[in-house]
Amino acid sequence: MNAASAPAPVETLEPEVTEDTALDSPWVVIVWNDPINLMSYVAFVFRKLFGYSKEEAERLMMQVHHDGKAVVSSGSRSDAERDVFRLHEHGLWATMQQD
Amino acid sequence: MFRSPIRRQRGGDYRFTISDDERQLVLDLVRQLRELLTTDSPALRRLFPPPYGDDDERNAGYAVLAGSELVERRLAALEVIETTIDAETLTEDQLQTWMRSVNDLRLVLGTLLDISDDEQPVSGADETMVAVYEYLGQLLELTVQALTD
Repeated sequence: MNAASAPAPVETLEPEVTEDTALDSPWVVIVWNDPINLMSYVAFVFRKLFGYSKEEAERLMMQVHHDGKAVVSSGSRSDAERDVFRLHEHGLWATMQQD
Repeated sequence: MFRSPIRRQRGGDYRFTISDDERQLVLDLVRQLRELLTTDSPALRRLFPPPYGDDDERNAGYAVLAGSELVERRLAALEVIETTIDAETLTEDQLQTWMRSVNDLRLVLGTLLDISDDEQPVSGADETMVAVYEYLGQLLELTVQALTD
């Protein structure tokens, strides 16, 4: 850090920064089975949002269907919040938790 | 042979030839959802799932940060449907917006009908509402098929 810069903000920033560093365990985004969403729609949304191949998207969709849930992405907390937001925008039941 | 009313054309746009009655039905539903989105009706609960499981504090924080943005995006999507309600050609973006909103409508109707794990409406449910729910499922299926082809 530049010695000439004002030191004041450092302390207040620190707790938030550490929460997202690569040293922390990643957050995972989970999509849960629900009785309303169509299987074809769920697979399509996985392809669209995460760029999965048709086969991988269908495998994840079937995992949601049979096991009740599947991890669809992982990363920092802000990555996970962005993915959850996009899934919610598409009406999927998504949650996030620290792995 | 059945020919889907939603078909990809050369050039990338989509031919969209659902009937006038279907368009009127979708428009009515879109207007109802627009009204509903200004309320905190429990029928909307599937549109705004809590992302942090049982962590009420973090869920509340997310609701403050993301909740209004999610409402705004849904309203913007409904507006796209209203402005293209008579269109016989849709761009891919427009068709994907239709897809999202049709799914939203289905989620709300499914919630009102209390659709459970066997995917069947509860007995004694409003027959018109069940028919509309099933229609939206067909429209969504055709839309996803066209976008996947």
